[in-house]
Amino acid sequence: MASNILSIGSSALNAAQVGLSTTGHNIANASTPGYSRQVVVQSAAQAQNFGYGYIGQGTEIAAVTRVYSEILAKQAVNSQSVSAGINIYSANLSNIENMLSDASAGLNPALNNFFTSVQSLAANPNDTPTRQSMLSYTQSLVNRFNSTSNRLNEIRDNVNTQLTSAVNSVNSYAKQIARLNDVIEKAINAAGNPPNDLMDQRDQLVMELSKQIKTTVVQQNQGSYNIFIGNGLPLVVGTVTNSLIATSSPSDAGRLEVAYQSKTKTTVLGSDSLPGGAIGGLLQFRSESLDAIQNQLGQIAVTLAGTFNTQHAQGLDKNGNPGGALFSIPDPAVSFNSNNTGTAVIDSKIVDARAITSSDYRLQYDGTNYKITRLSDKTVQSFTSLPQTLDGLSFSQTSGTVLAGDDFVIRPTQNAATNFSLVFSDTSKLAVGAPALSSLNSMGNTGSGIISAPSAGSTYAASPLVSALGLTYTSGIPGTLSLAPSTQPVTVTSGGVTTTFPAGTPITYTSGATITVGGLSFAITGAPANGDQFTITPNTSNGPGDNRNGLLLAALQSQGTLNNSKTTYSGAFSEMVNTVGNKARELKVIGETEAKVLEQATAAIQSESGVNLDEEATNLLRYQQAYQAAGKMMQIASQLFDVLLQLGN
Amino acid sequence: MRISTNTIYHNGISKINTLQAEQSKLQQQISTGKRISVPSDDPIAAAHALEISHAQEANASFANTRQTAQLKLNTLESSLGSITELLVSAQSTLVGAGNGVLTNLERGFIATELSGSLEQLIGLANTKDASGDFVYAGFKTDTKPFVASATGANYAGDSNQQLLQVDSQRLMAVNAAGDSVFQASGNDVFTTLSNLVTLLNTPITNATEQAAFSAGIAMAISNLNGSVDNVLNVRAAVGSKLNELDSLNSAGSDRDLQYSKSLSDLQDLDYASALSDLAKQQTIMQAAQKSFVETTRLSLFQFI
Repeated sequence: MASNILSIGSSALNAAQVGLSTTGHNIANASTPGYSRQVVVQSAAQAQNFGYGYIGQGTEIAAVTRVYSEILAKQAVNSQSVSAGINIYSANLSNIENMLSDASAGLNPALNNFFTSVQSLAANPNDTPTRQSMLSYTQSLVNRFNSTSNRLNEIRDNVNTQLTSAVNSVNSYAKQIARLNDVIEKAINAAGNPPNDLMDQRDQLVMELSKQIKTTVVQQNQGSYNIFIGNGLPLVVGTVTNSLIATSSPSDAGRLEVAYQSKTKTTVLGSDSLPGGAIGGLLQFRSESLDAIQNQLGQIAVTLAGTFNTQHAQGLDKNGNPGGALFSIPDPAVSFNSNNTGTAVIDSKIVDARAITSSDYRLQYDGTNYKITRLSDKTVQSFTSLPQTLDGLSFSQTSGTVLAGDDFVIRPTQNAATNFSLVFSDTSKLAVGAPALSSLNSMGNTGSGIISAPSAGSTYAASPLVSALGLTYTSGIPGTLSLAPSTQPVTVTSGGVTTTFPAGTPITYTSGATITVGGLSFAITGAPANGDQFTITPNTSNGPGDNRNGLLLAALQSQGTLNNSKTTYSGAFSEMVNTVGNKARELKVIGETEAKVLEQATAAIQSESGVNLDEEATNLLRYQQAYQAAGKMMQIASQLFDVLLQLGN
Repeated sequence: MRISTNTIYHNGISKINTLQAEQSKLQQQISTGKRISVPSDDPIAAAHALEISHAQEANASFANTRQTAQLKLNTLESSLGSITELLVSAQSTLVGAGNGVLTNLERGFIATELSGSLEQLIGLANTKDASGDFVYAGFKTDTKPFVASATGANYAGDSNQQLLQVDSQRLMAVNAAGDSVFQASGNDVFTTLSNLVTLLNTPITNATEQAAFSAGIAMAISNLNGSVDNVLNVRAAVGSKLNELDSLNSAGSDRDLQYSKSLSDLQDLDYASALSDLAKQQTIMQAAQKSFVETTRLSLFQFI
């Protein structure tokens, strides 16, 4: 009997010791990340039947387990990857946002200064300092476009770096998880009991992995984890790992894409198949925001350069020469897909700066047709041959042979703002004057009609005036004008109504109406008398006071120019800032919500699995008392044994 | 609900972090006076503010152009004033010259006087503005527009008018071409004066010559009247443009004020509410800190 009491005491003492150790372990790891508190599972030992009844045999420790909820962990892992994706997107976007909104260094003040300087050029056409300052402001606008776009390129490089490091982390976590899978499985098979701390470590690794990419865990019967990433790509299966690699995009060598490498092949993944986590957030940021913003910036540069160049070419510079190009803008970048089998070289040029969109284009050849896809809205147009013109761009094949399946990406605007430049710095080359003059026969005219100086619209330079045009007034009701030589149609705009008079027909006279012929516009006002003559002549020596082309250049500021002459330059810029602002705000709001969700999920895990020191203090007291009681019991057993020994004395 | 010790610390810190971020935002707003520091603070207002600032800049550049226009028109106006005076004085001289009792010698004196007026008039017609440009030369502002000749003066300018964009929808001519001022409708004031000088220098010896002289004077008076009227017309047009510039200026500054006000409404901070928010945040912060310290100070371990 007494030996039985002693062994019961010993089992109790042992159980109390295990309790104390476990409590101590909990206290020690109270702040270890990913630690789940452990509890001792204790049960009564098998009782022994003595005929008159069962006598208890003490206690035994069934297991030491961790308090862990798979469902709560799953929620936290999901929420973690969503949250990490939004955070990294938001952090990258805020770089762009700060850059665009900077009150002194942003693009906006440079645009304002440029337009103001063009206005003052128009007001002071002959003033050398004004011409100089116009060129300086133009140069600083160009610089601002360059530096803004370069900053975007830096952000692009930075995305590449971040992607590489995220991919490396994913691969490293995959290896560690696979190793832990192995150890845990062996431990369970050998001892039958779960290695709690190793399992915590593995769960913590899954949590870290989910910060990089969307992660799904499927637990196997033997205790190992199968890990799937993104939309279900197996990353870890038992002890086997697959890996991700950061690789150059086949259509753009400077752009890193994430590819999945299984044993047999490497597949480049789009941002659609890699949602969530840092990788998802970065890919989404790049395709949704960075590309779009850089293209929009490029579109403003392309249209600004194109429209100013066209109008500038209509003018006459200080030396009497037609205006040259003011800005230089790079041709669209065409990239040859590295998987192409043909040798075709595709070329693209900007043919209408007003029609340029901010989209990129994909040109594919299927053996019979050339398919051009506008990537922003996936609109496809099919052609049987090249060259073709679409959205202000020409597409042509300059050499080589094209084979079915060949694929090219055309980026008209991405690098436009980076390589945008000012062509000349000689103030005398600014074409502020117009290439034609008007005069009236001051000695012969008897009426009061006067003719305004003609201005050249954007189409004049293509077919300039070669000899004088004469206009003679014939009185009548209504009075008419006749044009000599009468080879061109004439349009007359009065009160917003435009009438076209075919070549050779008399032109109805309306005082003050805008008369346009051969790209030149002018007005005759007053009351001409019968036979009064007006003449338009080509101008080859620029009058220093001539500011007609300057006025037209300045007027571009308030006209719709971008998107098929619908949006002003500054309107397009505001739109771009608004888009960035809206996206940043959206991310801020969603980010806050997701952070709340993550916090709640973490709090729920903590509530279940976290260590509470007060609780552990209670346990310490409890196990201490149990230990003392067991000790006392053993002391009593020993005293009982002494009683037996003394019986013989 | 069971609370882990980690959660107690985490909650305390995260609340304090949030409060600190909010305070820093408020502080930034207060120090800059702006409600919006990045577009995402209010994307619509930020884009709208950009548009308004563009409009304001454009408005300011029209105001600059108006200054240039005013300067040019003022020069023109004062030169036209001198020209009017000169021509009016020539008119009155001419009335005296028609007097039949004058001797050939006396007419000669008048001829000398008018010849001086002709030279003066050519001088005035070659007026330059503050930047050294000829005022009556059309676009050829670097070319002396009138060169004296045997029969008056030849025009070397052109008949173009320089227009300036003085407001978003208003192009205003700021010069007057010499031919339209001095040679309008075939009536050349230089020829008139030159012919007069010749006429006055021609001696009168008989009645036929007397009659030709009288007819010549009458013709000259009529021509000169026409020229004076034309100059006065040009001058009146210049005057009305100067008036228009004044009213455009006042409309421009009204618009500027309006733009500034709209920008302020969109971007500027409501200080009263920001400061009261800051005070409220500080109170909450103090409470959060105190309660955090108090909560974490309690531990069972202190009693065992």
